[in-house]
Amino acid sequence: MTWHKLLRHETILALLTVLALVVLASQSDKFFTLDNMLNQGRLMTEVGLIAVIMTFVIITGGIDLSVGSILGLVAVLLGVFWKNMGLPLPMAIGLGLMVGTLAGLINGLIITRFRVPPLIATLGTLALYRGIAEGISEARSVRGYPDWFFVLGQGQFLGVPVQLWILGVVTLVAAIILGTTVWGRGVYAVGHNETAARFSGLQADRIKLAIYAASGFAAALAAVIFVSRVSTTRSDMGTGIELDAITAVVLGGTSIFGGRGSIIGTILGLVLIQALKNGLSLAGIKSDGTIVLIGAVLILTILLSNLFHRNGNR
Amino acid sequence: MTSDHAPAFVAKRTGLVRFISTYGQEVVIAGAIIALFVLVSLVSPRFLSANNLNTIISGNAYIAVAAIGMSMIIITGHIDVSVGALIGVLATISGTLATAGYPVWIAWTLPILIGVGINAIVGALVAYGRIPSIVVTLGMLSILRGGLVSITGGAWINDLPPDFHLAQQRLLDIPVPIWFMVVLTLGAFMWMRHTAFGRSLFAIGGNIEAARAAGIPVERRVVQVFMIHGAFAGLATVLFATQLRVIQSTVPPNLELTIITAAVIGGVSILGGTGTVIGSTLAAILFSAIGSAMIFINVSPYWLRAVIGVLILITVLVDIARRVREQRSAKR
Amino acid sequence: MSALLQLSRVSKSFAGIRVLKDVDFDVRPGEVHALMGENGAGKSTLIKIISGVHTPDEGGIIRIGDTQHKALSSRAAARAGIATVYQELLLFPELSVAENVFLGHAPRTRLGTLDWSLMRRQARQLLDSLDSHDLDVDAKVGTLSVANRQRVEIAKALSQNARVLIMDEPTAALADADVRRLMIVVKRLRERGVGIVYVSHKLPEVFEIADRVTVLRDGALIGTHPIAEVTEQSLVAMMVGRDIAQLFPKPVPNIGDVILRVKGLCFGDRVRDISFDLRRGEILGIAGLVGSGRTEMALTIFGITPATAGSIELDGRVISISSPRQARDLGIAYVPEDRGLQGLVRPMSIAQNVSMASLHRVTNGLFMRFAEEIRLAVDAIARLGIRARGPEQVVGQLSGGNQQKVVLGKWLATNPRILIMDEPTRGIDVGAKSEIHALMGKLAQEGMAIVMISSELPEVLGMADRVLVMNGGTSVATIGRAEASPETVGAAMTLATRSLEVAQ
Repeated sequence: MTWHKLLRHETILALLTVLALVVLASQSDKFFTLDNMLNQGRLMTEVGLIAVIMTFVIITGGIDLSVGSILGLVAVLLGVFWKNMGLPLPMAIGLGLMVGTLAGLINGLIITRFRVPPLIATLGTLALYRGIAEGISEARSVRGYPDWFFVLGQGQFLGVPVQLWILGVVTLVAAIILGTTVWGRGVYAVGHNETAARFSGLQADRIKLAIYAASGFAAALAAVIFVSRVSTTRSDMGTGIELDAITAVVLGGTSIFGGRGSIIGTILGLVLIQALKNGLSLAGIKSDGTIVLIGAVLILTILLSNLFHRNGNR
Repeated sequence: MTSDHAPAFVAKRTGLVRFISTYGQEVVIAGAIIALFVLVSLVSPRFLSANNLNTIISGNAYIAVAAIGMSMIIITGHIDVSVGALIGVLATISGTLATAGYPVWIAWTLPILIGVGINAIVGALVAYGRIPSIVVTLGMLSILRGGLVSITGGAWINDLPPDFHLAQQRLLDIPVPIWFMVVLTLGAFMWMRHTAFGRSLFAIGGNIEAARAAGIPVERRVVQVFMIHGAFAGLATVLFATQLRVIQSTVPPNLELTIITAAVIGGVSILGGTGTVIGSTLAAILFSAIGSAMIFINVSPYWLRAVIGVLILITVLVDIARRVREQRSAKR
Repeated sequence: MSALLQLSRVSKSFAGIRVLKDVDFDVRPGEVHALMGENGAGKSTLIKIISGVHTPDEGGIIRIGDTQHKALSSRAAARAGIATVYQELLLFPELSVAENVFLGHAPRTRLGTLDWSLMRRQARQLLDSLDSHDLDVDAKVGTLSVANRQRVEIAKALSQNARVLIMDEPTAALADADVRRLMIVVKRLRERGVGIVYVSHKLPEVFEIADRVTVLRDGALIGTHPIAEVTEQSLVAMMVGRDIAQLFPKPVPNIGDVILRVKGLCFGDRVRDISFDLRRGEILGIAGLVGSGRTEMALTIFGITPATAGSIELDGRVISISSPRQARDLGIAYVPEDRGLQGLVRPMSIAQNVSMASLHRVTNGLFMRFAEEIRLAVDAIARLGIRARGPEQVVGQLSGGNQQKVVLGKWLATNPRILIMDEPTRGIDVGAKSEIHALMGKLAQEGMAIVMISSELPEVLGMADRVLVMNGGTSVATIGRAEASPETVGAAMTLATRSLEVAQ
């Protein structure tokens, strides 16, 4: 297939990441410690969950800008279900996950049933979901969650942060699905040429509905972890996270036009971004400088990638 | 199967029918604004006070101005998610220049030039680097956001000289923001309707291959339209920065979303190739009116964004339905 | 009479492959010069050289009027009055007719702005000169029919004072009545002194309208003759290089009982009450002009546009097909008309394409069995004679004929009992054409029921056991192999129109 081309982008990225890690480690001896690595993993999880599923979305040629809003909405609803409605916390969490999945499903319906381009559909739901979150919470925040809840976001299991395990499992499952199952094949086919996929009997609409629902679920899961990590609920949570996720995915080699991409690439992209953020900060460079660098890295990577793949994908 | 008996609505139409079908969206928004005013003023007459009207129309003038540039970008088939950050950066530059003692007209115009320059780079990356505009502007968003914090170090700008506040001044007793908005909107509208350059934007967004075949220098135009968009962002900054007492060091949240939304609801199709800037200006006024109305009728303004979200979706659904209907009848 | 345009010894190579070899070609004012040849003969390369899109290899000369060029840029070609109306119309759906006609060279006012009223007036004049009085200059092009859009394209060419007008397969997407009107337009242009290069493979049209005809085959010039000096047979022989009969090796049919019965099938107004039977082992040819609803009928049976009325019986059982997946599960396969868009995922490999309609055969529950997939592809490559480096090769790199074989391989892998083929040999070189025909014959002999939609009359006559003629979305005649001839089938196609017109 395009394994050849795929590998080329990922290898470049992997080399770049290793290079970055080496350089950053040399700038600060606090960088390459186990403690720090694990902590960064913890911080990276929310974006990571969303980015892993976003890979599927972008491979099908779509995009989901509403994930940040879904995160905020679920975070707010968590507070509402638990505090205002008095539901037991596990049930509140379960409901929250369901709402997030439902929100993603609605995205999928607007896109498949009404044929609205994903960019504008999720732009609309970005406003809608965030608006609902703001309307419900009225900018109040909820606190006082029970201690056991914080294990999720702040605890450890076998020395590794809990949420990192979750990210690991999700990543593994996603990679397996994308790379080795019929579903994954369907995702690539729909991304390359949806018409031909349909004509071959693939259920393109069902595939798309599933991934947008999954995207909503990932955002909801990220919300739960986020709330657990910062011990509070606020309606502006997750603002801008969609951009971080998309940056990681595109950096990882997934083509914005669809058809090309891998989970490994996304993870490498994530790692590179997080490493840059952390390493540069430890080396004394302010965090804003890193954000600038990340933006520049994104543009440069795509530029270089374009130069290598002259013939493009379509 | 005779196919030359074109469907009835294509054959000779009356001027009014044609006007409505071309400017339908604008008419709808204007109607919505009027309806809103009427309804809310029935409940709360103070809604129509000169003061409030001024707040409504002048308050969002900067969004209308920025939406003009954004409309052009979307008509050409691209998008810019970094414009909010750009305005934040330009506002800081403007404020910094003013407090550093430079004459105010420099504080007003230099940011415009910088906006043009930054967007020239974005345009070049999109047109010649062949990078999708969503990706370039995502990257630029990061760069600008980080850059803003770097420059300001997080500090806010307070002691702005009094003559800096252009947006609070009046010319011939009409607030400056309204002048900006009306003049720029009408000017842009005429330009896009009556110049070859303006029409070429519709061509590029409508069918890029046909545009090329017609001799339009597509890549050059894309760079140029991004530069024009940067200029409008700069002009919007003048209004934005000069209506505040303090210029914050953060990017105004969701500003780009509001601007894009104004353009889309104003009838600029996200599919490219169609739309007018009058619609986007009216939409910006509509948002402002809705926001104000909500306060007056005691609905929590926190629901404003949800309302806007619904409006986007409805507008897009209608646009798509129209295109599907046209395609189907065209296949005759 | 001196030529408007003259090409001498023009050649063109792409990536080392010679696509045009020492071709001479000229266009005189006030003539219709037909350009014919099989797909891949070099016609489109030739016209692209004339219009300046491609530059010819060393050694060729292009003479326009009195000046000689080695090559033309598209701007120079436009300035010289050379315009092309392509098959994929290059129009802007959201803009008006007048604006489309004049985009890029619109009249200006003294202020430098666009002169809309002059534009509209001139567009009106141009359309009137093309006998299109009912076409509104303010109409949005997106709302127009294909025929009207084509007229806008022609008006566009005229607005730039075209003296040489190249028309690339102009009637490919037109219904019969529009073809007639186009012929009138072309004749008018000829009267005005425009030189027209008419690229087409529709013999009747060429005979009706052309003054001279040039035939290309495999990139070489076979001959240029006045139309009076050629016949259909001689033209086909020149294009194809061998006797027609040789092209269609049809083994003795082995026709069984009815496997599919379509009754009163409808879809909107595109498929109107069509009924027919299909037997095992038979090849049912579906003939008809473009716009007669053949593909639409196939898409309805295949589930892309499920029937709105009527019934389909498979093996005597009434079934309803609402998705391609369902059709496939029932044993119906559809090899589409547009193989690039509908048939293949070009960036993927042969193996991935071949397995696409039979994924359940190469999976273990949820997981792919890649080795199994490769094996499936290897089988297909061998069985169909696909020329490729291997099952891993990207399909987009294959030739048209081999690509079509991959699509066929994909559907054969589903073990269908009914195979619908839509323009099975369009855009394929002669060699691969006869290979595919041979395959079809063999499949039919093995019991498969085949529906073959084709616009190439020789193919229909050569391969079909029965010919179903369609027009206006329904069947108007069924002709057995023995009675089928260009006259009977051709008459059936036009007979229907007349009766439709009478009905109106």
